[in-house]
Amino acid sequence: MNGVKKGWFTPLISGLLVGVLIAVVFFVNFKQLNSANNSKLGANESAAEKTYVPPGKLDTYYLFASGGHSGNVFVYGVPSMRRIRTIPVFTPESAAGYGWTTESKKMLGKFTWGDLHHVAISETKGEYDGRTLFATDIQNNRAAAIDLKTFKTVDILGPIANLNGPHCAAFVTPNSEYIFLPTRFSAPIGHEYADVSQFKEKYKGVMGAVQYDFNKKKLHLAWEVMLPPWSYDLSDAGKKSSDGWGVMSTYNTEEANTTLEVGASQNDRDYLVIFNWKGIEKEVAKGSYSVINGAKMFDPVKTPGYVFLVPVAKSPHGVDVTPDGKYYISSGKLSPTATIYDWEKTFKAIKNKDFQGEAKGLPVIKYESVRHKEVEVGLGPLHTQFDGRGNAYTTLFIDSAITKFNIKTGKVIDKIPVQYSPGHAAAAEGDSVSPDGNYLVALNKLSKDSYLSVGPSHPESLQLIDISGEKMKMLYSAPADPEPHYAQMVKADKIKTIEVYPKDTKRPNSVWKEKDAHIVRHGNKVDVYGIAVRSHFVFDAKSKTPDVVHVNQGDKVTFYITNIDLDEDITHGLGITSYNENMEIQPGETNSFEFTADQSGVFPLACTNFCSALHQEMTGYLLVKPK
Amino acid sequence: MRIWKSSLYPIGKILFAVAAALLIISIFFPWWGMTLVAPQYPEGLHLVVYPTKLENMNDLDILNTLNHYIGMKEVNGKDFAELKIIPIVLIAFAILSLLVTFTGKMKYGVIVLGLLCIAGVLGLYDIYHWLSDFGMHLDPKAPIDYKPFIPPMVGENQIANFHTTMGFKLGAYLLGLSFMLMVIAAWRFRK
Ligand SMILES: [Cu+2]
Repeated sequence: MNGVKKGWFTPLISGLLVGVLIAVVFFVNFKQLNSANNSKLGANESAAEKTYVPPGKLDTYYLFASGGHSGNVFVYGVPSMRRIRTIPVFTPESAAGYGWTTESKKMLGKFTWGDLHHVAISETKGEYDGRTLFATDIQNNRAAAIDLKTFKTVDILGPIANLNGPHCAAFVTPNSEYIFLPTRFSAPIGHEYADVSQFKEKYKGVMGAVQYDFNKKKLHLAWEVMLPPWSYDLSDAGKKSSDGWGVMSTYNTEEANTTLEVGASQNDRDYLVIFNWKGIEKEVAKGSYSVINGAKMFDPVKTPGYVFLVPVAKSPHGVDVTPDGKYYISSGKLSPTATIYDWEKTFKAIKNKDFQGEAKGLPVIKYESVRHKEVEVGLGPLHTQFDGRGNAYTTLFIDSAITKFNIKTGKVIDKIPVQYSPGHAAAAEGDSVSPDGNYLVALNKLSKDSYLSVGPSHPESLQLIDISGEKMKMLYSAPADPEPHYAQMVKADKIKTIEVYPKDTKRPNSVWKEKDAHIVRHGNKVDVYGIAVRSHFVFDAKSKTPDVVHVNQGDKVTFYITNIDLDEDITHGLGITSYNENMEIQPGETNSFEFTADQSGVFPLACTNFCSALHQEMTGYLLVKPK
Repeated sequence: MRIWKSSLYPIGKILFAVAAALLIISIFFPWWGMTLVAPQYPEGLHLVVYPTKLENMNDLDILNTLNHYIGMKEVNGKDFAELKIIPIVLIAFAILSLLVTFTGKMKYGVIVLGLLCIAGVLGLYDIYHWLSDFGMHLDPKAPIDYKPFIPPMVGENQIANFHTTMGFKLGAYLLGLSFMLMVIAAWRFRK
C-alpha cells in the first residue's frame, strides 16, 4: 500500500516541526522582544524618535480628553498623539448614528448638545481599572457612563435635580463608590423663581453624589449636599490615608450675583470645602436628609461634623490630592502661589476644633495649622498633576507654562513654556495612587500661529511633555477641536475592548439567520426584524424582494437590524434617504430606530458604513404607499 | 500464508497495545486543518477538523459569509455524518488491536491492518469528496464568477485574495504512527 510507505516520512518530519513549534510558542516571549525598545524614554532620543510609533505599532497609553461643548470624548494614543476615536456622549453624531437609534435618542432626551468638561476613569484601590469612563455635562446637569469594552455611552443620568453646572465633576472615589458633581452656578433649588437680589438667602450651591451599578450599567443619584451660594470648582477624592474624604475648591465667596469678573475677585481668601463622604453616607443611611425634588438632600449645617472650610488664596480653580494621599494642593488663580496642605494636620485640626471662625454655618479651619508649604509657582496657577516620584506639575494659565516642584520641600525644580494658556494637564496615570511619571499632556486653550491657519477660529492644542527626567522636555503638539478641557491618561493594556459583540441568540429583537428575517404588522405598527451581512440586507426572507419594506403612509415603523457578520471591523450602517434616519450596527450588534412613515413615495435605503467590495450594492427600498 | 499463522513476541503485543492507545488519543486531536490568510486577515482564518467536530465556529461563520461571494455553499458541521461515525470506528479498531495484544495471534493483526488500509483510503477519499463537492458546485449566479476548483488535501493554493494552506494535523499523525507501530510489530516482532 502506497500510503504506508509515505506514512513513515511525513509524520516524522511533521513531528519534528511540531516539536520546534511548541518550543517556540512556549519558550520565546514575543512580547518581551517587542517591548524592549519601547519601555523607557531614551535619554538621547530626539523628540521625533520618542513620539514616533511606526505604522502597525500601537501606542502605550490611551488619552481620554473631554470634548467640551462638542459634547464628545476625544481618544488619543500617547506618545504618537494620534486621534483614534471620537466617542459621542451628549451630542448626536451621525457617523455613529448616535442620536438616531432608539437607545441613544432615549439617553439624549430633549437635549441636542452638552458641555462635556470632566472625564474620570473608574478606579479600584485608587488605580485606574479601565472598566468605565465617566463624564459630566456642565450645561444640562447630566452624568454619563461610557463602557470601555465597547467605547460606547451606555447611560446618561439627568438632568439631575437641584444641580446647576457640575463643572469640576466627575471625580471618582478610590473604589468608584461615588462620582461627585459639585455645582458651579448657584441658583434657587429646582430653578424656582427668585430675583438675584435674594441671592444670599434663596440661592444655593449643591453637590451631587452619583453611583454607578457596574453590572446593570446604570447611573443613579445617591444623595446631595446643600452648600452656601458660592461657585464650586475642581475637586478630588482623598486616597489611601485620606480615603473617605473629598475636597473641592470654591470661589465667589463674596456671593456676588452680577458682574462676577469684579464681584467675585474681591476677597483675598476663598475656601476649599473638605467633606467626609463616608460620614455623610452613614448619616443619609440613618435618615439625616430632607427630600427636595426627589433628591435626598443632606444639610451640613443642620448635621455638623462632616463639612469644613479651609482658606485658600484668591479665586482658586483647582485642588488635587497627591498620589500618596497625604497632601492636597490648591492655588488661587489670581495669586502666584500654590499651597500644599497636609491631610493629617487637617484631621487633627478638625478633631481639636482648631477653627478660626465660621462661614454660612460651616467651620473654617485655621489656615496656618493645616498648611504644609506655600510654593511660588508663577502667574495663574490652576491644576496640578503628579509623577509618582514626589513631584507636582502645576499649569500656569497666565504665564503659559508648567511649573515642576517637589511636594515635600516645596522647592521649584523646573518650568517649561507651552503654547498657550494651559487649563488642565494630564499625567500618565496622573490621578491614580501610582502615576507612571513619564508623560504629561498640557491642554492648552489657545494655539495662535502654532498650526496652519484655518481662519479666525483656532484649534486648541495638546502638548506632550516628557517628564521622565529632571528637566521637562517638549515632545509634540497636536491640534484638537474645542475643547479638551480635562483628560486622563491610562496604560493601554488596562483597556480590554471586545472586537465583536457576542452572538447572543436570546437578545431581544435579534435575528441571526438570513432565513429568519421577517416583518410583523399590527394595524399601523410595522416591526422589521432584519439582518445586515456583507453585502446585503434581508428584511423579509420569505419575500421575493427580501430587501424591500412595504408600509402604508402614517405607519409607525421600527427597524431592528442585527449585523450577523461576526468579523472584526465589519460594521454596517443603515440610512434611509429623505427620512433623516440613520444608525450604525457594529459586528454582532442589534440596533434599532423608529419613525412614522409620514411621507409617501419611494425611499432608497443603504448601508452607510463601508463594509465590502459590494458595499455600494448593499441597498434596498422603503416603499410608502400613499393614503 | 506464514504471517496469517504466526504469533507475536511480547514486544509485538505491546506495540499493538500502544497502537490501540494512540487510536483513542487521536480522537481528541485535530486531524485536518485549513488556514486562510489575506491582507485583511493577517492573523488568518482557521478551520480545524477533529474526528468529532469542526472547530472555530466563529471563523467558520466568517468563511461562510465570504464564501457566498464566489457562490460556495455553507460549510456547516451538521452535514458531516462522518463526525459521528469516525469515533466509533476508531474505538472498534482499538478494541481489535487489543484483541491482538491479548491473543498474540497475528491473524487478527492482519485483519486490523487490512481494515485500517481500507478505512484510510475511504477517509482520504472522503476529504477529497468534500473538497471537490464544495469547490466544484459554485452557484453560477454568485457575485464573483469563480472557476470551480478542487483545493489540494495537503498543500497550498490561492482563492481570490486568500492564500490557503491545508494539511494534516496531530491527530492524523498519531493515526499514522499507530498504523506504523502495527506494521513494525508484524514485520519485526513475530515468530
Ligand atoms: Cu454594509
